[in-house]
Amino acid sequence: MRKFILPRRSLLRGLGGVAVGLPMLECMLNGNGDALAQAGALPKRYAIVFAGQSIGGDSWDEDKSQVAGVRKTETGHFIADTAAGAGYPVTTPLKALEKLGLMGDFSMVSNLKIPWNTTSADGAMVPAGGAFRDFHGGGAGPLLCGTRSTTSSFKAASITSDQIVAGLNKTTLDSLVLRAQPSWYLSGSDFSGRQYISYKDGGKAIEAQTNPGIVYHSLFDAFTPKDGSEQAAHDFQLRARKSVLSLITDKRERILGKLGTADKARLGAHFDEIRDLEMRIAAAPPMSGDQCQKPTAPADNLPLGEDNAGSGSDTIGTNTGYSDEDTRARLLADLIHMAFVCDITRVATLQITVFQSHMNVFKISTDFGMPIRADLHECGHNGDATTRGQLPVSMCLGWHIGHYAYLMDKLKKTPEGAGTVLDNSAIVFMPEAGHGIQLNDSTANFQTHSVDRMVLLVGGRAGGLMPGRHIVSQNAHPGNVLLSAMQAAGYTGDKFGEVTGKLPELFG
Amino acid sequence: MHALNGLKCSGPRFVALASVFCVAASLVACGTDSSSPVGQASGGGAQNGGGNGPGPGPGAGNGPVGPGNLTTASASVARRLSRAELSNTLRDVLGDDTVAPNKFLNDDVYRPFDNDYTVQAASRALIESLEALADDVADRAVSPANRGKVVPCTPTGPGDTACLKTTIESLGQRLYRRPLSAEQVTAYLTLQSYATEANADVPHDFYTAVNLVLRSMLQDPEVLYRIETGTATKEPGIFKLDSYEVASRLSFLLWGSGPDEALLDSAKAGGLVDAASRTDAATRLLTDAHARGQLERFHSMWLGYRAIPASPELATAFNTETNKLIEKVVFDQPSSYLDLFTSSQTYVNGPLATQYGLTAPAGGAGWVSYADDKRAGILSHGSVLAAFSKFSDTSPTQRGIFVQTRLLCNKVLPPPATVNVDQPPAAADKVCKLDRYDAHRTLASCSSCHGQLDPIGYGLENYDIGGKYRTHDDGHAECVLPDKGALPGFGEFSGPGQLARLLVDSGKVEACFMQHLMTYAAGRELRPEEDASKAALLASFKADGYGLQQLLTHYVADDRFSLRQEEVVP
Repeated sequence: MRKFILPRRSLLRGLGGVAVGLPMLECMLNGNGDALAQAGALPKRYAIVFAGQSIGGDSWDEDKSQVAGVRKTETGHFIADTAAGAGYPVTTPLKALEKLGLMGDFSMVSNLKIPWNTTSADGAMVPAGGAFRDFHGGGAGPLLCGTRSTTSSFKAASITSDQIVAGLNKTTLDSLVLRAQPSWYLSGSDFSGRQYISYKDGGKAIEAQTNPGIVYHSLFDAFTPKDGSEQAAHDFQLRARKSVLSLITDKRERILGKLGTADKARLGAHFDEIRDLEMRIAAAPPMSGDQCQKPTAPADNLPLGEDNAGSGSDTIGTNTGYSDEDTRARLLADLIHMAFVCDITRVATLQITVFQSHMNVFKISTDFGMPIRADLHECGHNGDATTRGQLPVSMCLGWHIGHYAYLMDKLKKTPEGAGTVLDNSAIVFMPEAGHGIQLNDSTANFQTHSVDRMVLLVGGRAGGLMPGRHIVSQNAHPGNVLLSAMQAAGYTGDKFGEVTGKLPELFG
Repeated sequence: MHALNGLKCSGPRFVALASVFCVAASLVACGTDSSSPVGQASGGGAQNGGGNGPGPGPGAGNGPVGPGNLTTASASVARRLSRAELSNTLRDVLGDDTVAPNKFLNDDVYRPFDNDYTVQAASRALIESLEALADDVADRAVSPANRGKVVPCTPTGPGDTACLKTTIESLGQRLYRRPLSAEQVTAYLTLQSYATEANADVPHDFYTAVNLVLRSMLQDPEVLYRIETGTATKEPGIFKLDSYEVASRLSFLLWGSGPDEALLDSAKAGGLVDAASRTDAATRLLTDAHARGQLERFHSMWLGYRAIPASPELATAFNTETNKLIEKVVFDQPSSYLDLFTSSQTYVNGPLATQYGLTAPAGGAGWVSYADDKRAGILSHGSVLAAFSKFSDTSPTQRGIFVQTRLLCNKVLPPPATVNVDQPPAAADKVCKLDRYDAHRTLASCSSCHGQLDPIGYGLENYDIGGKYRTHDDGHAECVLPDKGALPGFGEFSGPGQLARLLVDSGKVEACFMQHLMTYAAGRELRPEEDASKAALLASFKADGYGLQQLLTHYVADDRFSLRQEEVVP
């Protein structure tokens, strides 16, 4: 890794609300290293790592599985099948966190529930913060934004937690919105909103960046190298890049001036985004001391998987429907880590897999030693003919949590002030569904499309979070957990969408 | 299956894997009384001429309708090039066939076409991706191996302004799809300073400037969007496009790419604003291979087989088979477009012949005849039969939805919220798949919708998702398949060939094709006010014996093709 020097500093605000703040240096810290010498506390980070799968097998009891044709009855595979409090036995999906010594760095909140109307499928009858009784999409909105969903759409009706926290900060990037699964993988249909977990005010979805190389350049190209000859090349590239863009933005008024209202809005939005890019480039790259280092550029040759061949299970191809999400998620976690360390942003979302994900799990499941011929969605339903039920689902969940653990571990290993970056972070792991009563019928239990018996993990110690425990809630709304993490990251409100109040147990 | 507990279309638990939607059709939900469970889609009223509508199109003998009639001009906005259109443009202008947009840009939304401007939105991710794409493409374009394709002169040195100017003009004309203004050229020439600056630390030369010019052009909204302004007509909100704007409409519709030099020359000469000139241009464009690729891609999106869930070898064979038929009917032996559905021959290689149970053609690949009328046309192809399957097997309901929505343009609403669409119809005591669909037939709450869908699928059930013929459920010899189904309202059939015959005889499939073609051309769902134009085109299509090249030519010759209506802002 190379180190970089700090060029000019400034505070700029772009047309689209991009703000660029003062970079932070060790010299700005107070004697204890836990706060800025002149201002408030160290920056607080907020992130959500999302898994587009449920936490149990459809209609499978939580101690029942079949692996390679052998039926098993074993406890400890369901993520929350463990004692409450501190020092609880580690369940299968949490193994990656245990392996990295992180069991004391997050709390698990289980038995969460999004309310729904058990007798009516009328959108007008959905309770506050509740789920529309649609099988797939109805629970997505309230999970992400705390506001009820009145249709089957995956759309969030109001601003999501990450964007509320992003609004508190004045960093180069207000937030990083990233996704590891680049493709939908099903012929004849498309994401239809399943690819969003971050929304702005009014429920405007934020398009995620899926290319790690582009994220890297976006974050680090403006860094100035210390080495003289590298500086010359950097200066040349930076000047050229600015000239290239200004040739475009210089034309803004001339072009917009000849357009009608609709086109003016369309093209104006495009120009606004280019202008924001210019502002980010023009701004000083923020740095926060020795730990901020420009990482190595990610590989440029990540595969882009074709649509799934064969069916969702059993006959699914072994080399389709997968774009090496494993590597993509790791690279994106690396970038979130260094963006946090360098204080380029304090907020990130990483959607590893999309809602109702059809990513082929054959490769990842082979890697964890339990090959499953199915896509992720089918894994939750029926697995394949020989491997299905709780354990395979928990293993896939554990794969997602492995990436969450990887990010947590990197943040924990990075000193900041008197502690670590993780001490100043609230990092949430969010699966798309629970494993309770089925949303659409309100009778069958242990369902994969359930907003009942949901689980969230909250890592870090920002804002007085007291990690290390399993908290069994009394059907609290997931929004209560998010609100707690938001408050830990500096949000002072007590309302999130239609959900009110934090979960005090998370703070000890 | 639907576990469907709320509606009791099936039992509470499932046992099998086959999956279907419980689909409520038309304007009513499954379970609601309806005399017309499957309704016409919006914009589908092909019969309605409309009080203010134009007369039949030029193909029907009546002259074209002049500008100023609201029913003739379609609302449009500045449409952003789809990934495919951008890839084609880079291929045609720079000789870059790496399909780089697919690597850098997020996937377009398919509704079912990839160019719906109502869902295009600028975003930070888009802007950053476009910058990365531009950098990548420009680097490749000025590499020593490729620079000869983009720089039409030999520079005398880094400061060769004349050569840079020529390069800017030639690239600019192709990428902007019109000549650059002197002001634009001058602006780009400022980038030459990066080629000439005294800087020993950084390698730079003439091509550094070309690289930067390309990077800027490739991120320019005037390149990335098809901006149409035109000149105002007497009718408020209606604009007459200029020659270059019409040239772009022509090439993006017929080629899926920007205009070539010849088309730009026509525009420069002031052509393309009249019907005769557009007819000539369309005739030329349709002789080019680009037109074949474009039409093949249109069909793959319309009929849902753009990505075939089969092995690469088989998928290639399916695509070849289908493309060969499209090319034969439209280009090589032009005949009625409806032959696409009724052709008694198909193009197969050895493995595909085996797959279908046909005699392999001599010489590895070629045309062979079907044994009977159960197979005919494109609906018998593995490409189409694989589409609208669900998980490990065919789905009679999904195939019914396919026929109702894509071939008859009827609206099918999603299943009631309380239906579990992830599991096949359940009935633990029933081994045979179709027996498990009993609930769809016997329960009134289901049959009102499924009655319009499942019978279509039953008639195709003997053809698996790979197009193989089968007599019984896979692995269950006792579950004999009926080899018989029905197109509700039109009669019974056996196999995709007989279904195609019913569809063609219904007189509705060509109207539905027209609706999809016009949707693709408009870049959004059709609106009721466009029904009249559709009816006129349909009349000319029929009068021409359903020749697709003639239809496309009429489409671009019509005055509406050179008019734009200001889009209403919500």
